[in-house]
Amino acid sequence: METKTVTITKMSKAFPTGEGEFLALKEVTLDFGAGEFAGIVGPSGSGKTTLLNVIGSLDTPSSGEVDVLGYKVSQLSAKQSSELRSHHLGFIFQTYNLLPVYNVYENVEFPLLLLKMDSQKRDRMVKDALEWVGLTDKTKSRPAQLSGGQCQRVAIARAMVKKPSLVLADEPTANLDTENSLHILDTMKNINANLGTSFIFATHDQKVIKYLRRVIRLVDGEVVSDDLQTGA
Amino acid sequence: MIFKLALRNIIGNGWRSLINIGIIAAVLISLIWMEAMWYSWLVLAKTQQKQWEFASGMLRSKNYDPYDTFSWEKSYAPIPAEVLPHVESGDIVPILYAPSVIYPGGRQLSAMVKGIPAGQKVLELPSSGLAPSEDGPIPALIGKNMARTTKLGIGDVFTLRVKDSAGAFNAVDLQITDVMDSPVPSLDIGTVWVDLSALREARLLTDVATVLVLKEKSLQSVSAPQYELITEKEFFADLNEMVMTKAVGQSVLFLLMIFLAMLAIFDTQALAIFKRRKEIGMLSALGMTKGQITRMFTLEGALYMVFAAIASLVLGFPLFWYFATKGFALPGGVDFGVVGFDRPLKFVYPLPLILLTLVLMFILTAFVSWLPVRKIAALKTVDALKGGTNA
Ligand SMILES: Nc1ncnc2c1ncn2[C@@H]1O[C@H](COP(=O)(O)OP(=O)(O)O)[C@@H](O)[C@H]1O
Ligand SMILES: [Mg+2]
Repeated sequence: METKTVTITKMSKAFPTGEGEFLALKEVTLDFGAGEFAGIVGPSGSGKTTLLNVIGSLDTPSSGEVDVLGYKVSQLSAKQSSELRSHHLGFIFQTYNLLPVYNVYENVEFPLLLLKMDSQKRDRMVKDALEWVGLTDKTKSRPAQLSGGQCQRVAIARAMVKKPSLVLADEPTANLDTENSLHILDTMKNINANLGTSFIFATHDQKVIKYLRRVIRLVDGEVVSDDLQTGA
Repeated sequence: MIFKLALRNIIGNGWRSLINIGIIAAVLISLIWMEAMWYSWLVLAKTQQKQWEFASGMLRSKNYDPYDTFSWEKSYAPIPAEVLPHVESGDIVPILYAPSVIYPGGRQLSAMVKGIPAGQKVLELPSSGLAPSEDGPIPALIGKNMARTTKLGIGDVFTLRVKDSAGAFNAVDLQITDVMDSPVPSLDIGTVWVDLSALREARLLTDVATVLVLKEKSLQSVSAPQYELITEKEFFADLNEMVMTKAVGQSVLFLLMIFLAMLAIFDTQALAIFKRRKEIGMLSALGMTKGQITRMFTLEGALYMVFAAIASLVLGFPLFWYFATKGFALPGGVDFGVVGFDRPLKFVYPLPLILLTLVLMFILTAFVSWLPVRKIAALKTVDALKGGTNA
């Protein structure tokens, strides 16, 4: 049997609202294997971000089971979920979320600082990551001095630098033009092919959807289809 | 790791960090300066008081109560036999006090006349000119302050009336031979100094004294049952208390300054938590624990203090050096009516106190930095990532 990276079983997520609760995810059952290049696709408000947040243990499910790399997300202590994120997960957001006071090198180095390794190894890993995204000449720049496309490449390098098992990318191309979007998608696809890292996207961008090997459609918090794309 | 990150944040914060460090450094410099001033003054006052008045100890006649004017007339006691040889050798200086009335230039003033052996070498009080001549007026010494109130100067002759041991008034003529610049006001204000034997003669007294000033500490153990030993601690109790009172009076200003510095840090930190909410969410998403984030921001604030301490020592050094070598003179020779303030005060620095101040300030800064950071613990990662204010 294939080893599963993520297993979601009858997971629901409710948000409290003024008059009761809003069910953003309804008994979602899904699993992801190693080396996936999958996307959760659906209109705005369909629950893509919520699902990604639960997988990333940034949020907890209201019911059901979510297992990420052997961690039971609903039962994790704050410390354990920090450990899951720092050791095994990479995040890429629509708004890049780089640390503004750090330069490119320092931003990419950051996840490794949390892992406590010797500085030589760290330096090599940071340089490797910057090479993957083609930013070796910008190491000293601050995020404010970079274009959106460059910022997102730094964010990818930061997500990838520790070679995590799983990268969660929430609308990574939403703020980018076509050229930059395709560039980062190529980069991620290469990383996926070379390192075997699993990618799960949340997106409604057709450019991204074309790249996906697997498309999971979400409507109003429910999985309506889950298809493999051979053309990608 | 946390340290490295906190340091990066400070450097990355640019001018805002510099302003904070500047404010705290200014407060630290003022604190150190003020502490040094009070401390130096206390040290100087004690040194001078020892040189001019106290030496290594004092035996005071039990008949003398400094707070009871009626006791002053009979405030003396016989010098015990065991003490006499030390008086002979000059190691113990007997001083006799007597309330008197003086008539300078036709006016009438009460004064304390004090007799001290003209030849004494224990105290710096310039008594050497007091040795009486065969005839003519008795030489007298007064301080600058007394000279001002009595309008007496060197060479002036005036009458002094004092009660003798039998209770009868005796009048003698005195002539000012010297006006001294005493750093100890109590030796000056309302006091006339004459030779001990001359005063005894005028009062028909023999071997008696009001106080016995000891040259060496070892003399504190001489047997003098009619005298009470005044230790250094007792002697300087009032001075210490006064310095404390004055220093505490000043501390209001300081608390205000410290408050200002802490406000700057608190403000920076609170603003940082508010503005860097999304960043904090990202730190958490990257796997930093809440404890690590809290520690990082707290350390960031506390590091301001470390930099400020270094800055204040480096920037303040010329100032500290200047006051240590050139001294601090109060403008226009303001008379504080207390010891030691009439000449430039050369600063000595109370290192333990300064160190304690720095440590306390460090703890305070760390605490103030931590206050706004606490909120992080209550923040959910998803909410922080949104960057909004709906915590
Ligand atoms: N913290 C929250 N409180 C209440 N409702 C929320 C919260 N987060 C998301 N929602 C709601 O859940 C639904 C799904 O949101 P989201 O997962 O962000 O959708 P998507 O990413 O697909 O656009 C939306 O209707 C949204 O309003
Ligand atoms: Mg979304």
